[in-house]
Amino acid sequence: MLQCIFLLSDSGEVLLEKQLTGHRVDRAICDWFWDQILTQGESLKLVPVIASPTHYLFQVVREGITFLACTQVEMPPLMAIEFLCRVADVLSNYLDGLNEDVIKDNFVIVYELLDEMIDNGFPLTTEPNILREMIAPPNIVSKVLSVVTGSTSNVSNTLPGATASCVPWRKTDLKHATNEVYVDLVEEMDATINSFVLPGFSVFLSLFLHYSGQLCSGSPVCIDGHPKQLANVFYLYSLSCSDLSPLLILLLLRDGNLVKCEIYGEVEVNSNLSGLPDLTLSFANPLIFNDVRFHPCVRLRPWEANQILSFVPPDGQFTLMSYRVKKLKSTPIYVKPQFTSDSGTCRVSVLVGIRNDPGKSIDNIAVQFKLPPCVKSSDLSSNYGSVNVLADKTCSWTIGRMPKDKAPSMSGTLVLESGMDRLHVFPTFKVGFRIMGVALSGLKIDKLDLKNPLSRPHKGFRALTKGGEFEVRS
Amino acid sequence: MLTQFGATAESLSKASTMMFRIGTDAHLYDDPDDVSIAPLLDSKFESEKCEALKRLLALIAQGFDISNYFPQVVKNVATQSLEVKKLVYLYLLHYAEKRPNEALLSINYFQKDLGDPNPLVRAWALRTMAGIRLHAIASLVLVAVGKCARDPSVYVRKCAAIALPKLHDLRLEEHTAAIEEIFVEDMTMPHELITTEYMKSMIAYRLDYNLAFDNLHIFWRIYLSSSESQHIVGMLLKDNSPGVVGAAASAFASICPNNFSLIGRNYKRLCEILPDVEEWGQIVLIGILLRYAIAKHGLVRESLMLSFEDLEIQSQEKDDPESSHLTVRKPFDGASLDICTEIADIVARSYLEGPDKYLARLGHVNQDSLGFDGSCITSATSNDDVKILLQCTSPLLWSYNSAVVLAAAGVHWIMAPKEDIRKIVKPLIFLLRSSGSSKYVVLCNIQVFAKAMPSLFSPYYEDFFISSSDSYRTKTLKLEILSTIATKTSISSIFLEFQDHVRDPDRRFAADTVAAIGLCAQKLPDVSNTCLEALLYLALSESSNNAVALMGEEEILLVQVVKSIMAIIKQDPHSHERVIVHLVRSLDSMSAPAARAMVIWMLGEYCNIGVLTSKMIPTIFKYLAHRFHSESVETKLQIVNACVKVLLRAKVEDISELRLAISYVLELAKYDLNYDVRDRARVLKNFLSHCKGFNYLEEADYRTEFNDLTYVFAEYIFGGTKKVPSESFSYRFYLPGSLSQIVLHAAPGYEPLPEPCSFADDETGHSPTNVHNDHESNEIDDSDDISGSLDEENTSDYSSESVSGEGGDSYIASDSGEDEEAGTLIHLSDDAPDSGDHDRVSVKNTSSGLMDAGELMSKRALESWLNENSDSGQNSSNLSQVQRSLARISIKDIGQLVKPKSYTLLDPTNGNGLSVIYRFSSEVSKVSKELACIHVSFSNHSEEPMCNIFLAEEKPNPSPDSSEKSGSPSESVLVSHDKEATLIPMEEIDRLNPGQPADRVLQVRFEHHLLPLKLVLSCDGRKQQVKLRPDIGYFIKPLPMDIESFLKKESQLPGMFENIRRCTFSEHLNQQNDKDEPPQKDIFLMICEKLALKMLSNANLHLVSVDMPVAANLDDLSGISLRLSGEILNNSVPCLVTLTLKGTCAEPLEVSVKINCEETVFGLNLLNRIVNFLAEPPR
Repeated sequence: MLQCIFLLSDSGEVLLEKQLTGHRVDRAICDWFWDQILTQGESLKLVPVIASPTHYLFQVVREGITFLACTQVEMPPLMAIEFLCRVADVLSNYLDGLNEDVIKDNFVIVYELLDEMIDNGFPLTTEPNILREMIAPPNIVSKVLSVVTGSTSNVSNTLPGATASCVPWRKTDLKHATNEVYVDLVEEMDATINSFVLPGFSVFLSLFLHYSGQLCSGSPVCIDGHPKQLANVFYLYSLSCSDLSPLLILLLLRDGNLVKCEIYGEVEVNSNLSGLPDLTLSFANPLIFNDVRFHPCVRLRPWEANQILSFVPPDGQFTLMSYRVKKLKSTPIYVKPQFTSDSGTCRVSVLVGIRNDPGKSIDNIAVQFKLPPCVKSSDLSSNYGSVNVLADKTCSWTIGRMPKDKAPSMSGTLVLESGMDRLHVFPTFKVGFRIMGVALSGLKIDKLDLKNPLSRPHKGFRALTKGGEFEVRS
Repeated sequence: MLTQFGATAESLSKASTMMFRIGTDAHLYDDPDDVSIAPLLDSKFESEKCEALKRLLALIAQGFDISNYFPQVVKNVATQSLEVKKLVYLYLLHYAEKRPNEALLSINYFQKDLGDPNPLVRAWALRTMAGIRLHAIASLVLVAVGKCARDPSVYVRKCAAIALPKLHDLRLEEHTAAIEEIFVEDMTMPHELITTEYMKSMIAYRLDYNLAFDNLHIFWRIYLSSSESQHIVGMLLKDNSPGVVGAAASAFASICPNNFSLIGRNYKRLCEILPDVEEWGQIVLIGILLRYAIAKHGLVRESLMLSFEDLEIQSQEKDDPESSHLTVRKPFDGASLDICTEIADIVARSYLEGPDKYLARLGHVNQDSLGFDGSCITSATSNDDVKILLQCTSPLLWSYNSAVVLAAAGVHWIMAPKEDIRKIVKPLIFLLRSSGSSKYVVLCNIQVFAKAMPSLFSPYYEDFFISSSDSYRTKTLKLEILSTIATKTSISSIFLEFQDHVRDPDRRFAADTVAAIGLCAQKLPDVSNTCLEALLYLALSESSNNAVALMGEEEILLVQVVKSIMAIIKQDPHSHERVIVHLVRSLDSMSAPAARAMVIWMLGEYCNIGVLTSKMIPTIFKYLAHRFHSESVETKLQIVNACVKVLLRAKVEDISELRLAISYVLELAKYDLNYDVRDRARVLKNFLSHCKGFNYLEEADYRTEFNDLTYVFAEYIFGGTKKVPSESFSYRFYLPGSLSQIVLHAAPGYEPLPEPCSFADDETGHSPTNVHNDHESNEIDDSDDISGSLDEENTSDYSSESVSGEGGDSYIASDSGEDEEAGTLIHLSDDAPDSGDHDRVSVKNTSSGLMDAGELMSKRALESWLNENSDSGQNSSNLSQVQRSLARISIKDIGQLVKPKSYTLLDPTNGNGLSVIYRFSSEVSKVSKELACIHVSFSNHSEEPMCNIFLAEEKPNPSPDSSEKSGSPSESVLVSHDKEATLIPMEEIDRLNPGQPADRVLQVRFEHHLLPLKLVLSCDGRKQQVKLRPDIGYFIKPLPMDIESFLKKESQLPGMFENIRRCTFSEHLNQQNDKDEPPQKDIFLMICEKLALKMLSNANLHLVSVDMPVAANLDDLSGISLRLSGEILNNSVPCLVTLTLKGTCAEPLEVSVKINCEETVFGLNLLNRIVNFLAEPPR
């Protein structure tokens, strides 16, 4: 079980330590950890489980804050990681975001929360609704009160009734003036798209080589379209042809090849219902789900039987389920990057446009990529939106809403390190966008029923699609 | 103007942050000690106290030691304000261990709070009280926990469950001191630094370590596991609220993970409640249920774990039974389920044994020794327990918590039939969309699954495509998985993907991709040609790049490309001659030394595989000779090697051409700056001087034998006939979802799956129900007792119950007891020394107290252990495999062998021919339980008969009317309550003829006086003073109890009630020498028997159990432990004796004697006595 939790700032300062068991962990472990980060680079920050000489460390990094937990004995590592994620969620929920200052400012609350959330290294109360009842979140009123009257208590005097109920995620006696429930479909599109440098020169070589009388599909060799390289290929094959026949070379022209395209979606519910409502939510096309995961409140049997979500909702905002829809055929926008290098410089041009009009406007479009390390300097500009090149060679192009009249494009030149003739590594473009009012997976909510309505609630549905891991390879 | 504006903006933003921070505790964190805290703590206003405490908390957060405020803070625990209370608790928990004395002050308040009507207050008080870790109050906390475990509030019960491990931990530490003395070196092991280096060394010393761990394990079990807390855990597991059950599961896992009987009773219920348990409890509970199912029912026949067995059986049926494991390889059997059986087998064995043990065993023992015999196999379709477990865990695959999903997937992986494992694939893959941290952990587990059963994941290869946001480690894991699951159909898409990665800006990753391409090519020979083409192209283009830009990073890729090419070529060098030619041709543009070295190696290795190469060789060597001086050391060494290889294989007609270049190279190498190159050049030149190439001008018959020898050596070293070593399966597999699987060494506390079918309980089966109920009620009684103080009333109640059980219906009762707690133990019933006779039923062999292990186990216990498979041939081997398990042996008829020691009361020389010998008897006086019985034997060694022999107490006023006394002995005993020893006189011996012996029984109340008892012996009217020396060993009487109640009792008597001393026991040495017993396995038993006999001959105790570690090696007796119990005669206080052995057969044994007794002084005296007689030489 976990022995200690440390909160570290992004400069390695220990903000808080909370010892959980009798086996105390010295802070020196944080120094060790930070030394490792400094020597091995930031990449270590992405390693969730580290074996230090004395302890096993689990880390989760959220918005610059490192949550570090230590143990000395065997325990499920995912349990520790999930718990740290949960702590991070609860804290950022309580404190409206996470940063060094906000944690320092509310360290008492953080301590009290941690104390409730974990006892002797085993998670105790992690349900946000109960926590909120036990420890009041800081708000304007309490702040003002504390200024005026000195100190106020944020620790509740009574045990939340939900701890005893069979639906621990819900307060027992809730009363809302307005009975309303909103269901949002929030979808993220993950896509990987290959595009080739110069459509004219792009060559896709698929070789069907006839070896020992047996025809088998060979690995396609892709060559980007520099004439010199193309010459290389033919040189190579002229050599190989000497003892191989027949040789078939297929030249394919492609612009943009969808490697994969899928939707990761969440059904987010905002429920403000009185009493103990029992909801059922059904979809018009539940078969499109590839994978699903549910909030603990969802009863699993009805889903197994009829693909119906039956649940007693927690109060307020929560994620009812998440799902994945695979093998989508198209993306709403396209990004076409082109690199042409010539004697130490490289011309870049990136085009963005709508491919399949989703019917709603696309906004928050942003394209981001990292300049390869061999680029010495860059000069990039766009005809729409703003281009920024950050110190770590990240180039971000913020477009915003897609203009109606023209296709946004960015162009410029990259100067390569001296001695480099041409660019041989190519960055990946990350694309962000947002489309309100559309669930690109095609998921449709059929109906939402209340089994024991006190009064007819107001129901609302919305949908939203965002760019998730949307990548375009150049 | 502008600057001014800037300034205002800045101050504005400052002001706004100030505004934002107003009302928060920011100022407290920033300057926690800007006011003096002490007076605030003493303030009478709650708000000031609160502020002070917050300041202290800020200081804790910043890592200052502020334990000096402890006394002042403790005072505030009495506060009514919950916030102050919470803050005080936070402070207390942080510092209590440092200031134990002051912390004691708070106990009263906790006690008070525990009675508070507010459940929150009760829960907090319990949590804090259990958390402050004071040994002194451990028993108080246990009582509190027991009480809270029955609290009406779910929250409090949950906190009670969580408090149990704290208590357990504390007790563990307490006993550590005791254990440490015995196994100092072992105790440090689990807490050692855990590094890979350390792990390696640990594997090297595996045997020692295992042994050490076994001992530890035994100790922990003996000392801790069967304690009050287990009863509470059992109770909480039965709780109605799922929340409590979850917490109880975690307590179970940390207190008594192997006490499967607790689970067995509730198994069905636990399965059904599983989906309602909160997520964290689910994770632990799933693991427990899985372990239980394995221990109870064994592995599932249709599951992956036994896929290898299937195959083996098939192969044995098909062809010769001799076919070894490793030759049976069927990566793709016709069905859609292709399982890499070899790896699946390793996985299964690793899960069961732990990879360290498994891998080490691979080295020297035949694999078959651990073949699962048919008895440990169950079927998923017919076994309800397995079915329900699979049913109840499958909806958890939809859980929001990734740890739950992985745990549930682990159950299916191990238990589900192969066809059903598919179920876990999609949920596992979906986990990859959660946070980056868990993605890595999930991938590590998927990697193992994919290795053992690639077909599971091969349809989902697209999900392992790498996205640029993945961390480097995630990327490499995905690459590895992709190359594992690649199939003929998917390989083309995977290659398309790979070729994109090759151009990734992260060259390290690009190099890994190239390595993955190489792996795929090796795995799927169909595509190896295409892979080679691609790699060759890459090598050529990369080398041309390198010519332009020499960057350190670029080299990695090129080197990896050449390495992959090399690996592919190795498989079939003859068909790839062309590739070698290409590589050699591009040598000029290749700058990375490692790549050059590898190309040259290939050149040397394959110099004569085709026409092209042999034609090229002379030219190339000219080139190499030309470049030699500018090469790096690594390349130079390879060039020199290649020279020899080429010469060895070259045809005679080429040699003349080569000779010049090569001798030039060797000459250069001889004077190289690097000594390695110089040395090698000299050695090789020596070789070559005798080889055909260099002395082709010499006469053919010049070759001597010596030259032939060097030639053979050279041929051997450079001959290249050596086979490419096949990839060895040195993977280390740990249970899915475990920490050990991620860090790839066994983390402390990691336990492989329990031995299949190691747990057999009869409860559900054929055990008589009344016995079962009896036990249940007993147990409930016990757990109820926790809350009250544990007075003797209850214990004696308990023991009398078990006594009556044994007395009346003796066998059933003791049987049920053993089945109840069997666990992984072999338990045989043990008879009280005096009741040895009527228990013959179970024992076939009663000839002597000494039997060998196989016979010793009663058949029934053996059967239940082996699950109705008592192949006597397997017994011994099975026994030796059960590492860490104990054999509980019983020594029959020991009662008859017991010969209490005799003492002389009167010497014939002093007593005019009358000799009086006495010995303490184990009989219990019929008059009063407080009396000790002494057998007194009189014998007349004189020539004349003696009359009126009588033994009486010496009194200051010698006027005891003998008739009166003998008339109402009981009364007199009851009346005489002075502190003197009291005696019930024996019957007078009227006449004793010469040579005639006479025995009388003397009953004495010693009242714990160890001073000699002065008696008056009257004989023929003469009176003589004699002294009877009391033996403290007989101030007690046997207290029959079973092992469970013994352990329970023992755990109730910790701390000051426990005393340990150590002595050496050497009696067995003499015996061994003069008896010269051949069978080795008897030594254990013999020593146990010797020791037990010694104990029983000198003290009136009941032998509860004799445990010995089964797996220890033959010589090592460490770990054997004897438990004896007795109760003090006059007050019935139980007195528990535990003997633990250490040492080997050949040396004097070190025996540590432990006594748990409430009467500390008595306990100490008894301890001293035991130590004395154990150490004294045998008679």
